[in-house]
Amino acid sequence: MNVISIKNLTISYHRKPAIRGISLEIEKGSIIAIIGPNGAGKSTLLKGILGLLPFDSGEVKIFGEDVDKVRKKISYIPQREQFDWDFPINVYELVMMGRYAHIPFIGFPRRKDKQVVINCLEKLEIERCATRQIRNLSGGQQQRAFIARALAQESDIYFMDEPFVGVDAKTEKSIFSLMNELKSEGKTIMVVHHDLSKIKGYYDKVIMINQTLIAYGNTNDVFTPELINKTYGGRLTILQKTEELI
Amino acid sequence: MTEFIKYFLLEPLQYEFIQRALLASVAVGISCGLIGVYIMLRRMSLIGDALAHAVLPGIVIGFMVAGKSELVMFTGAVVSGIITSVLIGFLSRNSIIKEDTSIGIIFTGAFALGILLISQLKGVHLDLSSYLFGDILGVSTGDLILSFTITLVIIICVILFYKQLLITSFDPTLAITIGIPVSVIHYGLMTLLSMSIVAGLQSVGVVLLVAMLITPAATAYLLTHSLKKILPLSVLIAVVASISGLFLSYHFNFSSGASIVLTAVMFFTVAFIFSPKEGLLIKYLRKKKTARTAISEDVIKLIMRYKGLQLDEQVSKLSSETGLHLRNLKSILNSLESKGFLYSDNNSYSLTNQGLAEARRLVRTHRLWETYASKEKFLSDDELHSDAEKIEHLLPDELVDELDRELGYPEKDPHGSEIPRTES
Repeated sequence: MNVISIKNLTISYHRKPAIRGISLEIEKGSIIAIIGPNGAGKSTLLKGILGLLPFDSGEVKIFGEDVDKVRKKISYIPQREQFDWDFPINVYELVMMGRYAHIPFIGFPRRKDKQVVINCLEKLEIERCATRQIRNLSGGQQQRAFIARALAQESDIYFMDEPFVGVDAKTEKSIFSLMNELKSEGKTIMVVHHDLSKIKGYYDKVIMINQTLIAYGNTNDVFTPELINKTYGGRLTILQKTEELI
Repeated sequence: MTEFIKYFLLEPLQYEFIQRALLASVAVGISCGLIGVYIMLRRMSLIGDALAHAVLPGIVIGFMVAGKSELVMFTGAVVSGIITSVLIGFLSRNSIIKEDTSIGIIFTGAFALGILLISQLKGVHLDLSSYLFGDILGVSTGDLILSFTITLVIIICVILFYKQLLITSFDPTLAITIGIPVSVIHYGLMTLLSMSIVAGLQSVGVVLLVAMLITPAATAYLLTHSLKKILPLSVLIAVVASISGLFLSYHFNFSSGASIVLTAVMFFTVAFIFSPKEGLLIKYLRKKKTARTAISEDVIKLIMRYKGLQLDEQVSKLSSETGLHLRNLKSILNSLESKGFLYSDNNSYSLTNQGLAEARRLVRTHRLWETYASKEKFLSDDELHSDAEKIEHLLPDELVDELDRELGYPEKDPHGSEIPRTES
């Protein structure tokens, strides 16, 4: 069964379409890169699937349901710069937020939740920073803390928005190996990715978008010079030109 | 001292209105201290100020309907606070007007409506100035019961909804993706805010209320980096400020609101200067310490260069090259001697083995940095030395080892001088 099914999805900001008519069927257990130039709608697509933005038209089903019914099965790692790093919480408390979906609305973390958090901290090798305030971490440690939080959600689909921006080589390696581990457990991982040199060999499939879907398929089949050119083509697409008239 | 306590603290306590005011201070401290932390973290101090003003029409309407009944006036205030926060949100969502502007429009409008209604009250008297500036010495038993009920509700909500308040304050996106109703939490918090405002009106009044919300919270925020500690600390600061303000107000006949707020501001100022984490003083001392370390390290290198010279010659060279006054130089030399980096005999300073190792470490860092900078070409040749002079005091050892490895363990720096190796 397909874990995510997107039909004809269109989302606009201020009446200008950011993505248009995208249809996709995502199979279980793969690592998928979303690539495209700046402003191509990569993050918009991700947020659309997560139900964070209103649709103009189209439909998204996750495990055959509306996203609101499967919230416990998905987790999202947003871009790092949007946070207030002076917020008075430490790494342990940050990762514990990942458990909130599993703790009753009125209720406190139970022993199992605490154990999961500690396991996730260890998995990302940040257990020694557990009591540090989140400002006092390196960029790589901050990113790993957010991944630990997503991991603590124990979900089936992971959405990551540019997780490799501003991280060190060690963190990059540990994120990739973690992604493979999750995949071997049958989870699905969708990643907005920037660096075209790290697509082949890292991702099973690639979604190439530039407002519309350019291509989707196995990395070896679609990550070709022609299609990359088409995605990143310097010329304005006709769509963008008409948009300026709207 | 006992005389002071007797006169300043105990004497007033025999009066019932002071006892009531004291209890009211505690209630206000707890409710505003708790809610204020969330208002600060969510960057909503402007909304706090706005709602403090906007509860006025609700209170007056309550008064018109039911006379001086605390409960009806309270209900009116909370309803009016909620309507205002909904309107603010509605206006900024449905127009190009930004939130701060819509706050400015709505709350002044609501406040003006309140004043207009008061001016229409006939025959009965509602004391506007006690609402504007607070009058903690005039708290009635009914007010007190109301304040403690509010405080209790706020404590219970902050404990029960700790998770939701935390996650929607820090990361509303995550909150949405795991299905937490962000706007319900927002309006719930606005309701609690309106309630804490009602509790605070008696003591500090509309105009100064926002200070009761954010000044204790901000003070606590400067002192600790943990939300679980900020909440009780903010409460403690708010309660102590309220009580001190109350006594000052009684003894010196100050306006109660003003003396409470000024006490809180004084606490904030003390925290701002003396906070052990981020205070001005600690930052200054840290900077001084770094500077002193750098100079001490320079002195070690210079003594290696001028070993064997007579003491007064060494001292005059050191003083001219570091630009230090003799007295400061002497203190640095003494401290280096007591730390075992150097010793003096035969009327001259020499480095101990520990001092030599330190000097070698500095030279190695300096020359490796020059090699690196010239290889990577991010500094011009004339900048090399002066930059390395600064960086040698800052680079931690692990980083220097990494640099060495990356450069392939070079033997000479760009000037042809040998790069010393640590014995291994």
